[in-house]
Parts: sequence; C-alpha cells; structure tokens
Amino acid sequence: MKRVLHYVLLSLVALVMLSPLLWMLATSLESPDALLHFPPRLLPASPRFSNYGTVVRELSIGTYFFNSIKISVIGTFGEVMAAALAAFAFARMEFRGKRVLFAVLLSTMMIPFQVTMIPVYVIMRYLGWLDSLASLIVPHFFGGAFASGAFGVFLLRQFFESVPKELEDASRIDGASRFRFFSTILLPLSKPALMVLSLFVFMGIWNDLLSPVLFLSSEDKMPLPFGLAVLQNAQHTFRYDLLMAGTLISIVPIVLLYIFLQRYVTNSFLQAGLKG
Amino acid sequence: MRTRSAYLYLLPILIGLTVFTAGPVLASLGLSFTHYDIGQAPTFIGTSNYRELFHSDLFWQVLLNTCYYVLLYVPASIIVSLALALLIERRVRGIAFFRTVYFLPVVTSIVAAAIIWSWLYNSDVGLLNYLFSVIGINGPKWLEDPHWALPAIALMSIWKNAGYNMMIFLAGLTSIPKDYHEAARLDGSGAWHRFRHITLPLLSPVTFFVLVVTTIGAFQVFEQTFVMTNGGPGVSTLTLSYYIWQMAFRFFDLGGAMALGYIFFLLVLAVTGLQFLARRKWVFQQ
Repeated sequence: MKRVLHYVLLSLVALVMLSPLLWMLATSLESPDALLHFPPRLLPASPRFSNYGTVVRELSIGTYFFNSIKISVIGTFGEVMAAALAAFAFARMEFRGKRVLFAVLLSTMMIPFQVTMIPVYVIMRYLGWLDSLASLIVPHFFGGAFASGAFGVFLLRQFFESVPKELEDASRIDGASRFRFFSTILLPLSKPALMVLSLFVFMGIWNDLLSPVLFLSSEDKMPLPFGLAVLQNAQHTFRYDLLMAGTLISIVPIVLLYIFLQRYVTNSFLQAGLKG
Repeated sequence: MRTRSAYLYLLPILIGLTVFTAGPVLASLGLSFTHYDIGQAPTFIGTSNYRELFHSDLFWQVLLNTCYYVLLYVPASIIVSLALALLIERRVRGIAFFRTVYFLPVVTSIVAAAIIWSWLYNSDVGLLNYLFSVIGINGPKWLEDPHWALPAIALMSIWKNAGYNMMIFLAGLTSIPKDYHEAARLDGSGAWHRFRHITLPLLSPVTFFVLVVTTIGAFQVFEQTFVMTNGGPGVSTLTLSYYIWQMAFRFFDLGGAMALGYIFFLLVLAVTGLQFLARRKWVFQQ
C-alpha cells in the first residue's frame, strides 16, 4: 500500500513537471484559430506538423539553430580545453603563487555579470567584435566572458588529482613529454569528468541569453534564445502555435544530450556530495 | 620543484581572468564615479551617480521588488527541492525515470521556460486559468496584474530550477549513514520525528550551501523579466539586474549603471556574509 502511494506521488509530481512541456508540444501542433478557443483543447483535433516547416521557412528558426550549434560546439571545445590545461597545472605542478591564484580564480565565481557587463561590452567594441559571432565564441577559449571558466578548472582539478601520480612518472620515464602525458593519457582517462563538464558548458552556452543580447544586433547572427525572445516580445502580432514549435526545436538537442549523458550527471552530483 | 611551464598551461585562463574579469571589475568601479559615453573620454563627477540613485524613488522600488522576489523564491524553492529529493531518495524500480523527468526543466533554457509559462499564464485562453476555472476559481491575470506578476515569475522559476537543488539534496541525503535511521526506528521514533531530528540536522551543511547559492542566483533574476514582462506592468517586475540593463542600454547612462552594478554587488556580498554569520546558529557541525 505504501509503495503504491509512493508511485502515485512520484507520478503526480512527474505530471506537474512535464505538463508545461507537454502543453508546449500540444500547442505547437494546433491551428491558430483553435488557440483562441476557450476552454482550451488539451489535444489538437488534427495535429498540424506543418507548423514546424513554417517556423523554419518563415521565422529564421533554422538560422538561429545553426548559429546556436556553431557557437555552442566551438565554444564548449574552447572552454573545456582552457579549463583542462589550467586544471592540469593546478593539480600536477608547483609554481609561485599557486594557492593565491586558485583562490582568486574561485572567487571570480562570486562576481555577478552585472558588474563586469559594461566594460566587457566596451572591450568587445574596441576589438571590433560587436555584432559578430566572434564575441560569443572566442572568449570561451579563455574561460568565458562571464567568469564561467572557474567551475571547470575546479571540477577537473579534483578529477586529475585522483589519477595516480605513478602513471605520470611511468610515462615520463618512457620519454614522453609532460604535454604528451596530458593529451594522450590524462585526458582520455578523464572522459567521465570531461563529459559532465562539456554537458554543463554546452548547456550554458546553448541556453545563454545575456551575451547575445549584449553583443549582437543583426537577426541573421542570433542564436535560438535571442531569436525566440525577440519573437516572444512581438507576440501580439504573433502566433503561439509557431512560437511553441520554435521553442520546442530549441529544447530538443539539449534534452537529447542530457538523456544521453545523464548517468554521468547523476554520478557527478553524488560524488560531489561525498567529497563536500 | 617549481615548474616554469605551468604558466603556459595557465595562460588562456589568466588572459581571460585579466581581460574579462579583473580588468572590468576595476574599470567598472572607476567609471562608476564618472559620466561616461561610449567612444568618449569619461568625466569625473565624484559620487553623483550614487547620490542620484539613493535619491531616486525608482531605485528603492526596484530594490524592494528584488528583495520581494528573493523572499518569494528562495524559501519556497528550497522546500520544493528538498521535498523532491526525499521523494526520489528511495531506490525503487523506475526511479531513474522520475529523476530524469524532475531534472528536465533544468536543462531547458530559461528563455524557453519563460515563453512556455507566458503562454500558460495567458489570462484569456491560458491553460492555468482554465484549470482553475474547472475547480471553480477565477484565476488572476498573472503577468498583466502588478500584484501577481512577480509571484508568477517566482513560481515559474521554481519549476525551472527545483531539479538542480534536488540533485544536491539527494547527494546529501545519500551520505547520511543508514544506521542512524535504523537506531531511531528501533527506539520507536516515527518518520516525522526522524526527519526532524536526524535528516534535517545532518543535512544542514548541504542546506546551507543550497541557501547561499540559491540566494545569489535569485538576486540576479534577469532573463525572466527580459522575456516575460520587460519589468512591467508598470514597474512591478523591474528588478535590479534588469534595471541595470535598462540604464545602460536603453537610457545610455553607463556611469549610473555601473554605480548600480556596484551597489548590487555589495548587497549580494552583504547578504552572503550575513548568511555565513548566522550559520553557527543552525548548521550542524561534526
């Protein structure tokens, strides 16, 4: 009996968590007239899959999508690499100012974007990167424009420290350089940590609204969140069926990626809990 | 043994730290004492920007809105996350599915969530008010009503973020030794009693961490107002972050925006500091 109650409760909460997403799906398949109908129909009478074609053809969702892919894939690669290099130094090398530097790096996580936003905007202007995708991609090779690199350094350092030191000594005795050990042994060994970090960084860039609205102005360069926000703000002249179709398109890749990698995610949370 | 090449590995992060964080933090402080237009030299005006803010009613209103949002959001969101964590703690069959579902809103972008909820909140044909009407309640106009807009944004944010803190609580719960619960059960204490006197105290370091991080995040609320309300109706959802944005990129008062940015920064630091001071009163130390 208690078990049944537990499942009932689990399912009810699942329904609450899912219903906004299901409602998005239902709306995205509606015809525009049906949306003005009250009471709303929970299921579309005849699903209009053509809405998806319409948003790609008429609302540049396709363009936003490819901008998002470009920024997120290259940006994630850059940010994870920058974090891995720094984490390697912090985990395996001794150098002057190590502790202070690590503390400073971690403390940058406390600095809100509201403080740095305007100077960063000015820097982008001087670099001539305003309204170009460079402003959204290049900073990630240096840890990100809004101090997101620290989290990755912290996460990877933890992981690198858990790899036995003997492994490095052995490969060095065999004549491998330090960088060779890093790139051909340490990184492949760190796949779980790199996966989790990549997922979180990718998610951060894919979902980011701030940097695009700060740096971009042309519609053809916008990534999905910016494009969708613009459409939403124009919604009085607009249709929720199409807006929901576009929103759904923006969510699908990240949800798939999460489901695909979710066992890494759960483990990383549980491990962090055991350590901290 | 010191390794010189360490700095080579650190170079990208160090450049980023200097150019995008340390530099801007200092520049922003300096420029907050100036009148500044992009492309022109800043002119020093002392503390004018700060004084102007303190004398403006709008500033105090925005500060009040932000604190109101934090109070609406933080306690409720922590309670919901903890409840979810307790619900998925037991390893019953199919639990991974439920965990995934509860975490799904977290991976959804805040922009997508805001758009979906604007539609749910639609006062004429929205799903939410329809569901209310089924049980005989006349729902409010949500985002169009100055009294309901901020609570509506808080509710949406709870749905969006609960899964994240749920995972952190779950990690905390699984690290509590089972023996404690066993022993208490043998002594005949009930579920609520065990939750109150074993789970809560042993979980309190995790709760503290969640509280600090969630509070900082709540103060920064930005995307929700950007997408759902633009600060309206009136100024009822104008929060500090969004107001800084408006000052800078709508009214082009960059010096003022940076002054407000610093006030905001100090406010968040002060609140975090207070939480650390109050920690000893309720956080269990082993």
